[in-house]
Amino acid sequence: MSPHFIVFLVSLVVAVVVLILTDRLLCPGLRGLLEDVTALPAATEFYIRAFGLAIVFIALAAVFGAHPDLKSDAHFMEYAWAVAAALQDVFQDLVIVLLVYVALITVLMASLRRKR
Amino acid sequence: MTNEHYLRVSYFVVALVSLGLGVAAYRVLRRPFTAICETLPGKSHLSTWKRTLAVSLTMAALLGFLSVSYRYCGKSYAEIVNDRSYLVQVNRNQIQATAESIVYAVFGWCLVIVIFLVIARKRRQSPGDLD
Repeated sequence: MSPHFIVFLVSLVVAVVVLILTDRLLCPGLRGLLEDVTALPAATEFYIRAFGLAIVFIALAAVFGAHPDLKSDAHFMEYAWAVAAALQDVFQDLVIVLLVYVALITVLMASLRRKR
Repeated sequence: MTNEHYLRVSYFVVALVSLGLGVAAYRVLRRPFTAICETLPGKSHLSTWKRTLAVSLTMAALLGFLSVSYRYCGKSYAEIVNDRSYLVQVNRNQIQATAESIVYAVFGWCLVIVIFLVIARKRRQSPGDLD
């Protein structure tokens, strides 16, 4: 197994754990907020699914975009640094996506709340 | 497998994977999107909207795939083919660009749905005016 593949695999596993945690932490509250704002179950479902898609695809993009520079005789800590560099991209892109999503939900609330 | 063979196979496999990611994103969003469209005035546009969603997500996926060039830094064809790690890196970049394009498209559709919801709410408030 090449060093690049090991780093890719470990980064992917950690990214999946981060995604599951993010989903578990944010989705219940987000669903309640969307149900309150949209009053349309389909719209709530759409935005929840869009959120899931966005975080999964952006994490996938970050993991695939990482290019660690490792030799086959690299030390353990060099692997750790390479994984950390890949995870930095994952977290950075996730934060950007979350901010964009918050902006979207703010626009949604401003558009729909006003009309009540 | 020679590098030339790897280049040919991987290019088309990654293209199919990109297309598959676009189709998967469409299938995830299709059902709630259809339900939202059904609340809009004018049911005749329902299939048009569904097709637009399908086309836009698959096109976004393919756009991401096609946006990555092998000829980065002016490498010649021979230089590209001789470097297997470069070929793998380009494949990974293609998947990365595909995933990012799909995210942009999904966010675009989220904005469109805001407009749909505003229209649907207006319709509920004054059903006779918009039908």
